[in-house]
Amino acid sequence: MSVDLDHTPRCLLVSDRSSFLHEKNRINSQVEQLNFNYKVSLLLPECGSTPSHLDSMLNNFSTFYLIRKLPIYELLDKRFLETAVYQGCVYGLSYRTRIDEDICVALMPNGHLCLSLDKDSFQVLGVEGKASRFSHRTKSRYVVSVDMTESSMVPGGRGYLRLLTGLKSRLPLKSDFLLSHHPGGGASLQALLSRYDWSEHKPEVSTHALTCLSCPTQLTSIPPNFDPHSFLEWLGAVDADISCENSSCSFLSSLACPEPKTMLSQALRVSVCGLLLPQDILRLIQEIRCYLDQPQLQSWVALTVHGFVDSPVSWGGREHGALRGGENFYTLLMGEDHTYHLHLVTGAHDTCPP
Amino acid sequence: MSVFMDLNLIYTGDRTGLRTLLETAAHRESSADDEEIVSSVCKHLCLYQGRSRPIRVLNRLTVVMSDSSHFRPNATEYRSFDLLAVQPTTEKLFHAACMLYDVDIICISVSEKLPFFFKRAPVNGAADRGVVFEVSYSAAIRDSTLRRYTIANAINLMESCKGRNVILSSAAEKALELRGPYDVTNLGLLFGLSDGDAKEAVCSTCRSVLLHAETRKTASGIIYTMRSCSDSAGQEGAPGDPEHGGSIIDSQTIKPSLASDD
Repeated sequence: MSVDLDHTPRCLLVSDRSSFLHEKNRINSQVEQLNFNYKVSLLLPECGSTPSHLDSMLNNFSTFYLIRKLPIYELLDKRFLETAVYQGCVYGLSYRTRIDEDICVALMPNGHLCLSLDKDSFQVLGVEGKASRFSHRTKSRYVVSVDMTESSMVPGGRGYLRLLTGLKSRLPLKSDFLLSHHPGGGASLQALLSRYDWSEHKPEVSTHALTCLSCPTQLTSIPPNFDPHSFLEWLGAVDADISCENSSCSFLSSLACPEPKTMLSQALRVSVCGLLLPQDILRLIQEIRCYLDQPQLQSWVALTVHGFVDSPVSWGGREHGALRGGENFYTLLMGEDHTYHLHLVTGAHDTCPP
Repeated sequence: MSVFMDLNLIYTGDRTGLRTLLETAAHRESSADDEEIVSSVCKHLCLYQGRSRPIRVLNRLTVVMSDSSHFRPNATEYRSFDLLAVQPTTEKLFHAACMLYDVDIICISVSEKLPFFFKRAPVNGAADRGVVFEVSYSAAIRDSTLRRYTIANAINLMESCKGRNVILSSAAEKALELRGPYDVTNLGLLFGLSDGDAKEAVCSTCRSVLLHAETRKTASGIIYTMRSCSDSAGQEGAPGDPEHGGSIIDSQTIKPSLASDD
């Protein structure tokens, strides 16, 4: 018997093509639905240094907070719910917890608290939940999803007390937690932050100038003259600094730039890492549109936004898991005339992107 | 999914090497088993768990059987080990191990082409009892001939068991022979496992082995003996099945010796 090695791990790729000027474009909802963004990468062709307004935009992403060893029941604290959760959008994610090994917690802006638990923890916690959609033969992962704005989850309500008792006495969960609030910022979170060891962080911006980069031609042509897989592979290789020369003496990488290709004398790769809010990304997209309105040598910009690999939720609060890699990201290729190509990609253990 | 585990590390007398091996296993977030070749019959194994939780060390004994007298059921020496494994070398012993022996793991030999084929009946019988089959991969890293044998034997096994109840472990003697859990998952594809089965082979199935070992040691989870630090030993006891009546007496006689150890 021979083993079928042609079978590659399943991934989902949704491609969308539209224009920002079209009234029914879904770009805003697609960006807003990915709540937890880890990294934004920009590729600016024929550009030596970051344009000033883009630079100031990138450096003004909202700050976020890291709380060390936060007991998870504190997210049910009455004052925290009233000042932060009910008032605006709180984005919270457990930090340094692995989705396929540990317990992961996410607090979404619509007030949903999502816990991804292994079997033993779920049975100890004693709260209603369901088995993960991505269980194979045995159910070893369970998801508890609670809407904190529901009537039974009002402080003092039955569901609230059950979850609070579970998290306080039966399964006392503690983990490092990333927290951000829009639009209030840190002020709304002060009550929670003041009780624990916390630190404020600014998203880290790094810039890298590239020279002699081979690049596919006519990226924004309609219909596109290359398939999304090879374009995304090339873009990923540029982002990860992998050579696309495919020279015969190097065995490290056989990735190559899709044909037909051209040579760019220079390009700029900018990345921002941290807990990034969808609202900041939407403002960045608007800035890039203004940048493309000016006369350019090259008429496109590629923006890639990566979601957290270990987040229990991805687009629209739907369950996210990791089989061998928990990728969930989207690439927005923006052209002149306000047209765009959008590619949304998830891994095997994920639901279809919107 | 549960934590990643590697249920097979070779124990060596070299303490420094052993510590390096266990630290590497901890960094690769997998539990490792340690195996000591004291004789061809007894091996010693211990187990580590990943870095996100405190490291857990367990003991395992692997009995390499070329004759049915090599494995003595209910032998008292086996009590001090958390996991019990056998490596049968003939078809008759394999059948007996699958259907009768009170063990947790059946090791598939990787150092030779198996002299027998796996039949569905004993494989299914073992699966029904909760006994798992283990394929070790470090021999494949060391030597190209052993690589062929490992892959051939593993593929034969997968044909019979359909990827159920299989664990992948290293049997590593040195730190360099350890691989990370995602690499081992990829290796499982070469052995004929599907994506989901390969991932389960390094986490969920290993967890079920540990639970099976606990029930085996505690007469189906009824009797627990715990090492106590005071004279009033905490010991839960309940009448077991009539055939396990002997184990009740044994656990009670253990108590005075535990107290005298303190």
